[in-house]
Amino acid sequence: MILQRPAVTVENVQLAERTFRIRLEQPEIARSIRPGQFLMLRIPETTDPLLGRPFALYDTVLDSGGEPVGLDVVYLVVGKMTTHLMAVKAGEPIEVWGPLGNGFPKFPNIDQVTCVAGGIGQTPFLAYVRELLGTRGYAGQPAVRQVNKVSLYYGVRSAGFAAGVEDFRQAGCDVRLASDDGTVGTKGFVTQLLAADKPAGPFVGCGPEPMLKALAKLTASWNASCHVSLETPMACGFGACFSCVTPVCTPAGRDYKRVCVEGPVFDAATLAWD
Amino acid sequence: MDIDLKVRLGRLDFRNPVLVASGTFGYAREMADLVDFQQLGGIVPKTVTSASRPGNLPPRTVETPSGLLNAIGLDNDGIDHFLEHHLPYLTSLPTAIIGNVAGKTEDDFVELAQKMGQAKGMAGVELNLSCPNVSGGTDFATDPAITKRIVDRCRAVCPHPLIAKLTPNIANIVPIAKAAADGGADAVSLANTFLGMAVDWRRQKPVLGNITGGLSGPAIKPLVLRIVWQVAKANILPIIAVGGIATLDDVMEFLVTGASAIQIGTANFYDPTASVRIVDGLPAAVASLGAGSVREIVGTLKRQA
Repeated sequence: MILQRPAVTVENVQLAERTFRIRLEQPEIARSIRPGQFLMLRIPETTDPLLGRPFALYDTVLDSGGEPVGLDVVYLVVGKMTTHLMAVKAGEPIEVWGPLGNGFPKFPNIDQVTCVAGGIGQTPFLAYVRELLGTRGYAGQPAVRQVNKVSLYYGVRSAGFAAGVEDFRQAGCDVRLASDDGTVGTKGFVTQLLAADKPAGPFVGCGPEPMLKALAKLTASWNASCHVSLETPMACGFGACFSCVTPVCTPAGRDYKRVCVEGPVFDAATLAWD
Repeated sequence: MDIDLKVRLGRLDFRNPVLVASGTFGYAREMADLVDFQQLGGIVPKTVTSASRPGNLPPRTVETPSGLLNAIGLDNDGIDHFLEHHLPYLTSLPTAIIGNVAGKTEDDFVELAQKMGQAKGMAGVELNLSCPNVSGGTDFATDPAITKRIVDRCRAVCPHPLIAKLTPNIANIVPIAKAAADGGADAVSLANTFLGMAVDWRRQKPVLGNITGGLSGPAIKPLVLRIVWQVAKANILPIIAVGGIATLDDVMEFLVTGASAIQIGTANFYDPTASVRIVDGLPAAVASLGAGSVREIVGTLKRQA
């Protein structure tokens, strides 16, 4: 059930270079969202910026009794909306609608899942790690361990941009870092690190399109299952505008699918990467 | 307070003047969680064409100051799919459904109108004579003779009330509205989007895959108010205003300017429950003008400021 609700900002703290985590009090949406789904956030009482913007769920926030009461969103400041968002203070309202999109696949009875993130693409994986390892349940589902091990391969341009690494480690995830300039982890692209390690799949990726394309190619060469979470320019987030389409391969040829409702998570093998 | 919200435009009857615009409400299914359809005056689902169209190359939208530039390109699965898969759901909803069609040619419009005309449960058909994002799309409603001919020929094959959705990308819209009336339209929708463009100078490229797109949102509201006023004072035919309407104040502005009904468009994207909240607030706003019905306030703009 998609809900449009006002939310109150609880805190808005810096995690890394140009990277912030905003915590919103919104119990109704927090109770129904699951990992890999997203939210649209909008600054109220202005028409510039006009549209909401899609943000992955970082994780839900629980009260002392373990009930979901809030939403954490981690964002990189890149444009007009995120510049506004960065200035939002505790107590101020944000308009939210969600939960949106399909969410990450569930993998019962699989030994290991490997998440691959680039840039700000780590943000959807924290809740997923907790769901897979059974330390958290979402959308009213009980916490059930689905896999033995979850790894995160995480590439950043430079050490200062690595955000939330401790959150992932505390969640029980094995984190392997790569950076463009070698200031943290292995120097080079995260897909190069992945190719060198060749960990077990299935794989789930999120990040810039060239990275996802390289990931899809690499995992295809291993005959491994790979899902990717896409981000495209989006006006509504719930399937009405037909803006956010991505090209897919179908038996009848090429078609477009809406990232907001038919995604954002797609089987990488179904996407038209060229 | 018992305010009569009902409006009549030609053969069209709506329970209230708040409709939602084509291309901004999907096929209504997408909005089912967010909007109580029973509250709406009507729904205009996304434009359908004869054959399925993949739509334009992404990026298809870009935000501009208080505006949205789009070039979706009439992405749809064609009229037969619409009639089979979307219409049964739409006509099951407790509100008026206005089918919306766009032809590539005049004959194409007639064929689409005929198919819509044979379908049951529809309150009317809106002819999209003005999509700016497909080849030939804007040409129809820039020529009065063609506008009249298409409406007339559609009228001959379609028993449903007809609405002509016109383009604002023209110096004087009044002759086009007259042509639509002469062709037998029950109402005009004023107006479609304004042709625009966005550029990324760092990459030295247009932002949209289609290069140009149609501008909508609050940025265009004054432009559309001017168009509605021009057509209203010529007293040609009932007007459905569409363009930048997002709040109750916007709705009231268009009603007093001379629109008998309005469509919420881009606001459905960024404030999906806006339409319902506007309907909730409408009786009090009408009453504040000392009127007992929406009909009484339509076109009550005084000449001087």
